[in-house]
Amino acid sequence: MGSNGNLLSIEGLSRRFGAKEVVRSLDLSVAPGQRVALWGPNGSGKSTVLRCVAGTLTPSAGSVHVGGHLAGELAARRLVGASLAQERSFYLRLSGRTNLLFFARIRYDDRREGSRAVDGLIEELEIADIAATRVDRCSTGMVQQLGIARALLGDPSVLLLDEPTRSLDADARGRLWGALGRRPHAAALIATHLDEDLNLCDERVSFPV
Amino acid sequence: MTSAFPFPFSVPRLGVIVALVRRDYLVQRSYRLVFALDLFYGVVNLLVFYFISKTFDETTADLNGAPSYFAFASIGIAITIVLQAASGGLAHRIREEQLTGTLEALTAQPITVSELAFGLASFQFGFGMLRAAFYLLLSGLFFGVGYENADWVGFVTVLLASGAALASIGVILGALVLVLKRGEILTGAVTFAMGLVSGAFFPVAVLPSWLQAIGSIMPTRFAYDGLRSAIFEGGGWGGDALALIVFAVIGLPIGVLCFNRGLLQSRRAGTISQY
Repeated sequence: MGSNGNLLSIEGLSRRFGAKEVVRSLDLSVAPGQRVALWGPNGSGKSTVLRCVAGTLTPSAGSVHVGGHLAGELAARRLVGASLAQERSFYLRLSGRTNLLFFARIRYDDRREGSRAVDGLIEELEIADIAATRVDRCSTGMVQQLGIARALLGDPSVLLLDEPTRSLDADARGRLWGALGRRPHAAALIATHLDEDLNLCDERVSFPV
Repeated sequence: MTSAFPFPFSVPRLGVIVALVRRDYLVQRSYRLVFALDLFYGVVNLLVFYFISKTFDETTADLNGAPSYFAFASIGIAITIVLQAASGGLAHRIREEQLTGTLEALTAQPITVSELAFGLASFQFGFGMLRAAFYLLLSGLFFGVGYENADWVGFVTVLLASGAALASIGVILGALVLVLKRGEILTGAVTFAMGLVSGAFFPVAVLPSWLQAIGSIMPTRFAYDGLRSAIFEGGGWGGDALALIVFAVIGLPIGVLCFNRGLLQSRRAGTISQY
């Protein structure tokens, strides 16, 4: 945790792609258990902020710290569970469960512990059918649920969810919010443009900033 | 400003390497016909060189102790597979991760640079070793190549040293693919050119002297010479193995450093999820 008690600290974050500045001087702190919605239309920079926190994108200016570690550092990535663009983020010719087991092996040093975590998440999110299906035979919503399961692997302190309910039916949305409710100490940064998601968050940051 | 992967030199976790190898195996296994076609291609390759050898039966060139041109070339074919896997395997896997879109999801995980580099390259290398062993077996069983003088300990030693030496080039080529995206053409050209000047399919003595000079400093040259010495002469591979080990000790840290720079560059450019 950072010295100020926040799990996530973003200071003066700007990100430019060529001449276009997508995010400008964003300051944001997220405490344990806090759910913050990044709210705004498509292309307004929400996903860019999530990527900067996940460490897959470097800010053009400013800094991002996760639990006191610079975003992208190994220690920071251990604390973060991210569900970014799900459509193309799994190995299509492997089943959902095999995919989750693979990512669990990176998160957990003990193979059996990782396997138990995967089975626990499959049960918690009620995705046994999805887990048993090869990913290239899954619908967008099914893959999205796998993405959420992957983000929850390793019991991360900070969850990054990019439009997590976009393709989900009502039951799956309920299961997602239920899973977040069972993790009261996890900070969540949720990019969304849906009112329903907004109502379940503690705070909103409107985009573009 | 954030600094991703700031400390690239760490001992990879075996479990992560095994997970990456297992994943690559499962994906590869799902394309069953490719296995068969790959083996078929190798057999055809052997046949081509067998009949070339029959056409030009006698040669006065130095064949590194090989009893015939086909024996010389068959070792070249088999070993080239391993060396290509070592030098081009990571670049190939990085390219696949880019195309399937999984590279961002993978690099968002708590995985180190060395785990990523060596884990992604390991299956290709291991698979290359198995294919090479299969072709050597075929050459012995059906094409009359004799291994009665072979020093198998020396052969395996030089092969592993070759893999480590070539992996350093492979990691650098993987870094290039991270940055340039369509770098597989470059990796193909580099590995092919190294084979050309190092005596993969014909003795280096037939090359012009300036190409021989270039070939003499290539790790592939030590690999082919050492492996042929081990398999046909039963000795004389120690110097080649030592040269390859020195190359690996110097080259691998440089390779990991370059791969780390490639990752940093693609994060700065925002292209890690692009292909």
